[in-house]
Amino acid sequence: MTKQYAYIFDATRCIDCRACMIACSVENNVEMGESYIWLAGAGVMGEYPNLKRASMPYHCMHCIEPDCASACPVGAWNKREDGPVVYEADKCIGCRYCMNACPFQVPNFDWNKGVFEGAFIRKCTMCTQRLEVGQVPACVHTCPTDALKFGERADLIAEAHARIDANPERYINHVYGEFENGGTSYLILSHVPFSELGLPEMPETPVLEVSEAVMEGTIPFALAWGTVLTGVAIGVNQMNKKKEAAAPVAAEKETEAKS
Amino acid sequence: MKLRINFHPALRWPPIVWVLLTLMAIGFTVAMVRFALGIGPISNLNNAYGWGFWISFDLFTGVAISSGGFIMAGLVYILQIKELKPLLRPSVLTAFIGYLMVAIALLVDLGHPERIWYMLIYWNHTSVLLEIGICVMSYLTVLAIEFAPVVFEGMKWEKPAHFVHKFIMPFVIFGVVLSTLHQSSLGSLLLIQMTKLHPLWWTPILPVMFFTSALSIGLSMIIFESSLSSRYFKRGLEIHLLEKLARAIPYTAGTYLVLKLADLAFAGELGLLFTSGTMSLLFWAEILLGCIAPIVLFSMQKVRQSPNGLLAGAIITLLGMILNRFNVSWFGIARLNDPGYAPSLVEMSISVAIFSAGILAFGLAAKYLPLFDAEEHTHNAVSAPATGD
Repeated sequence: MTKQYAYIFDATRCIDCRACMIACSVENNVEMGESYIWLAGAGVMGEYPNLKRASMPYHCMHCIEPDCASACPVGAWNKREDGPVVYEADKCIGCRYCMNACPFQVPNFDWNKGVFEGAFIRKCTMCTQRLEVGQVPACVHTCPTDALKFGERADLIAEAHARIDANPERYINHVYGEFENGGTSYLILSHVPFSELGLPEMPETPVLEVSEAVMEGTIPFALAWGTVLTGVAIGVNQMNKKKEAAAPVAAEKETEAKS
Repeated sequence: MKLRINFHPALRWPPIVWVLLTLMAIGFTVAMVRFALGIGPISNLNNAYGWGFWISFDLFTGVAISSGGFIMAGLVYILQIKELKPLLRPSVLTAFIGYLMVAIALLVDLGHPERIWYMLIYWNHTSVLLEIGICVMSYLTVLAIEFAPVVFEGMKWEKPAHFVHKFIMPFVIFGVVLSTLHQSSLGSLLLIQMTKLHPLWWTPILPVMFFTSALSIGLSMIIFESSLSSRYFKRGLEIHLLEKLARAIPYTAGTYLVLKLADLAFAGELGLLFTSGTMSLLFWAEILLGCIAPIVLFSMQKVRQSPNGLLAGAIITLLGMILNRFNVSWFGIARLNDPGYAPSLVEMSISVAIFSAGILAFGLAAKYLPLFDAEEHTHNAVSAPATGD
């Protein structure tokens, strides 16, 4: 089996320096304002003297069962075996259903590009171009405090639990992303509630399950419904014919009365 | 001194036509800017609101108000309720124009309108949007076939008209199946937003809710459109037929209401009816206007038999159920770090232009095609010029 890569982010180590955003902008050649990373949950919490502050670089969660990939009508999104959720711009029709489907509100759109330049969806790529040459993503590489780390998902989960066990008073006893939305490839450790970091509360079953179950029933339903309607149409037709044959005089009178 | 402008006789159109053409020209210009510079400059859509007014109004509302076509086709062709026939052609035309409007609006909304046909070659089987796309494209074809005899008759091509009519049944059945699928699938489209859509609206039976409300909307729309066209074209109103449709609305609206409340009760979420602030208010507005009002109003014979009562009842039902479409596709969806969104006037001008084109197309068809029953048509042709002023 190929390795499944993942990131881990430790909020207790983040100093809100935003070097990851700059590294991402440089590596992926996107403007700072459109970098694939943004800061969430920055701010001071609590009441003096018990103050806490926390911040988190927010980017694609690279879900194991990505809702964007389930939603995309043309299959422009794919989950690679080695972890990243990748985008095929050549297929994209720009419908933006992925933006609606993503529970983490990750995909962004080129609002200021016309049809000639081509407006596409933008999001974190897990720096696949770097993975191919054996490097870690730019944000991880540049992080000065090791708040971001990259590796095999299973190893990182084990490490996350080890960190919590070593310092139980330092962390909330939960690894966000281990099970959320069926598991993600971006894992988060935190000392403040995850909602303070801007993360949504997610069920453990993937969000896409209900909609995929309904989609599976579509074709059988269509066939059954078509058969029923055909049956009804034939039945009604036969009944009306019989009625007319049985009471031709009455029918004639009726039409006369109508006209 | 009085300014006198002499228009060429061919240009002496009623003022409403000029108003519609102006609105269309404005929207067309905005659309050109959108294609050249992008969606950002002409709209307030943003990364938290990837879908906004266009989707809620043009797609969700547009498809819903076009449901009269399959309802009438089903009643007249499949159940053979022949007396309803006078309502068939206007309903099928409303649906045909409605779906064309949806398609045009989507071409403006899509990031890559030139790639819309990719839906036919790249299939992602788990995508609800793919199903809707395929259904809408196929249904537009079916509607064109269902409406073709009217055009052929208008052009006095008796043979093709007869030919299409002879083989219409399979298309009607196919059309009803396609409509059932995509009317309900518009609800399924929101299933994947389980964690974002407010629990007052998110339920696994969203497709059933959408189909049920589409029936209320379709029936109301036929009443609405017949009432307006009878007023404008000064032709007789088929009150006895509309009365029959109005009689069905309390059942569709009642089914919706019962399903909705039962579903909330089953999920143990009835408390949300009172505890969700603005969301509760929006929900109540939708239920009062779209379900309770029509149940009360259309249960009264007096309302059903008065032209004004019918029209008012239909408008109230439409308002309520269209609010439902806005609630589920826009107002009820929670955003992370909500930056807020209100559609700009420029953005809405595109929808207004497409709607104006639809009204104009219906008007032209009503004037030049045998849209209303043959005998009525001759009467209509005489009185039509009088509507010019």
